[in-house]
Amino acid sequence: MNKLGTVVRFSLLSKVKKKSFMITMIIIAIIVSILVNVPYLIQVFTGKDDESKSVRIGLLYDTQPQIAETFKQASQQLPNAGYTLIDYKQKTDSGVLQQDIDQDKIDGYLQFGEEQKGGFPDVTYISKSGSDLEGSLQATIQSALQNVKMRIIAGGSLSNEQLGEMGVPVQLNEQKAGSADSGSKKDNSIESNLANYIYVYVLIILFLMINTMTGSMIASEVTSEKSSRIMEILITSVSPLTQMFGKIIAMFLLGLMQIAFLTLIVVGNVAMPHNRQAITEMGVDLSQISLDVFLFGLLLYVLGYFLYATLFAAIGSLVSRTEELGQAIMPITLLLMISFYVGMFSMGTPNAILIKITSFIPFTSPISMLVRIGIGDVAAWEIAVSLAILLVSIVFFGWLSAKIYRTGVLMYGKRPSLRELGKAMRAYKM
Amino acid sequence: MDEGTSARTIEMEEGNLVMAKPLILNRVLKQFGDKTAVNGISLEVEEGEIYGLLGANGAGKTTTMRMVLGVIFPDGGDISYFGKPYGPDQRHEMGYLPEERGLYPKVKVSEQIIYLAQLRGMSAREADQSLRFWLDRFEVPEYYDKRIEELSKGNQQKMGFIAAVVHKPKILILDEAFSGLDPVNVELLKANVKQLRDEGTSILFSTHRMEHVEELCRNITILHKSNSVIQGDLREIKKRYPREEVFLGTTSPVAGLEEIAGVTGVERKERGYLIRISDVADAKHILAAAMEQSEVEHFEIKEPTLNQIFIKEVGESNE
Repeated sequence: MNKLGTVVRFSLLSKVKKKSFMITMIIIAIIVSILVNVPYLIQVFTGKDDESKSVRIGLLYDTQPQIAETFKQASQQLPNAGYTLIDYKQKTDSGVLQQDIDQDKIDGYLQFGEEQKGGFPDVTYISKSGSDLEGSLQATIQSALQNVKMRIIAGGSLSNEQLGEMGVPVQLNEQKAGSADSGSKKDNSIESNLANYIYVYVLIILFLMINTMTGSMIASEVTSEKSSRIMEILITSVSPLTQMFGKIIAMFLLGLMQIAFLTLIVVGNVAMPHNRQAITEMGVDLSQISLDVFLFGLLLYVLGYFLYATLFAAIGSLVSRTEELGQAIMPITLLLMISFYVGMFSMGTPNAILIKITSFIPFTSPISMLVRIGIGDVAAWEIAVSLAILLVSIVFFGWLSAKIYRTGVLMYGKRPSLRELGKAMRAYKM
Repeated sequence: MDEGTSARTIEMEEGNLVMAKPLILNRVLKQFGDKTAVNGISLEVEEGEIYGLLGANGAGKTTTMRMVLGVIFPDGGDISYFGKPYGPDQRHEMGYLPEERGLYPKVKVSEQIIYLAQLRGMSAREADQSLRFWLDRFEVPEYYDKRIEELSKGNQQKMGFIAAVVHKPKILILDEAFSGLDPVNVELLKANVKQLRDEGTSILFSTHRMEHVEELCRNITILHKSNSVIQGDLREIKKRYPREEVFLGTTSPVAGLEEIAGVTGVERKERGYLIRISDVADAKHILAAAMEQSEVEHFEIKEPTLNQIFIKEVGESNE
């Protein structure tokens, strides 16, 4: 008679069949779908290709006619500048321009200052509010002006190709020492970093969310069984250990189902052509995402889950009333949050000493190790050691939690202190 | 040699001819820290017997029951079930109805009771049949698909009772089984408990309600401050206590009862007098005095009630 199976089946079914569970999953699915579609939606709403949306900029010729003309030429060479220039060759009065801004003929105008010693004047963009320029547009205009400056300084001694070549910024790549010619798969260009960064970030959030959710489900389930007094019948029917691990396994399966469900939704959404394009245009190269990271992440999640779940069960067994539960599980959720934030803040510096340490500490290692595997450099032996430490801790904390659980489920009344718990554990001979 | 081993020996010597008793507690001891919760209690429950376990709050009843149920282990002595020590098989043979019977409020009756029966080693099909049988017996087959929170308190308790007996236990443990029930439901549950007894179930029964014990139990143990103070056949116990009350029913008032030798108190009742005496032998003087003055309708030397015995034993040593 497989009692563990019976407990697992009952605990799992009674959760999955609940309406509230279904509704939660549907809501999460919708939120996740929207999040994945955000890049596409941004594109739709900002409407980059829309000609009418392009900013109209008045160009004054009065002080620096040569620069103005060169700037105009340089701007015309840009395919998608995002702005159109309107000549004000004749009208040099700023009052006229002011009027045109007020009448919405132009959005603003560029004014060139007096020539300085270095050779290039200050440029001012004057608009209605004084801060109308979008960041990206400002950058475009700035680089166009840079181009103009080069042309003027070169004074026609350089060809257009040479000038174009000068405008391309220098790329600085990073590579690990000793892997120079192996064609290492870790290509630390900005694009792959961004993809991996987002990827690891999503995985961490997913694992944290599911771990917290299933963990507190275990705790509240145990407490409600205690407060509804069905616990007395359960512990006389089946050994507390079977009961505790049955519940932990049931919630584990539930968590896996949620992960599979969310993965399907994300993959399905990302695979849609419009999203693919939008994400690529954001500079995220999806081909950089490796399945290995996901699989390692899953393994770390599984181990992390069992480590935390046993503690959640132990805490749940000590609390007699559901109202007290939130406060009681606080230390564990805090631990989860710490491990999450350490991982997140270390994402910018995935090889720093802090995350190296935390990737070996059992409660923080699941997330820290994932960050290191995903975006840092990590040796195979480090992964092996971290996993081994994690496994040993699971066995230890599982054993400890089982002892606490066996005692805790029999203790009613106020939450016992550590000393009372120790005394009770000795008295019950567990 | 302790009784647990002797029961096993009998079984071994005479094969299956002599069945070991369903439940034997032999000098069972339990301490919590330096506090003794149960101090060497021994008792035996026969097949088809309801055994009463009495005691004030905190006397050690629940601890004793928990040890019988195998939830906590005794520090000394032993408990045997049909001659065997506690183990997973023994768990299947036991049913338990706790004082504050609990079921999952939001789960269907059928789902949770079949689950509980499965945990006690029944197959899902057997459990389903057994559950339907019991629902029919309580005349509430429509509760099969209801959630516990939808039922009234009395009906929830019926479901709790079904949960305790659905797997056909040979040993049933009832802790304050009838507390908080209305008289109709008490009678209904009592009838079912008797029926189970007649079918051969051994029942360990704890309660505060002495009249239930007098009605149901053959043997009892009264616990007081972790010790067993009175134990044995209920009728024998009663005989051991002096009869100190006389009820006298007469057609007309009787005067001077207080003056009769040996009378310690007279209480006027609606239909007669309740007279306390120090010695049973003095009862005949009362009868003689009464017959002189009036016609006697009713004369009874009353047995002490269990309630009186309980209060006497537990109350006196309470100081």
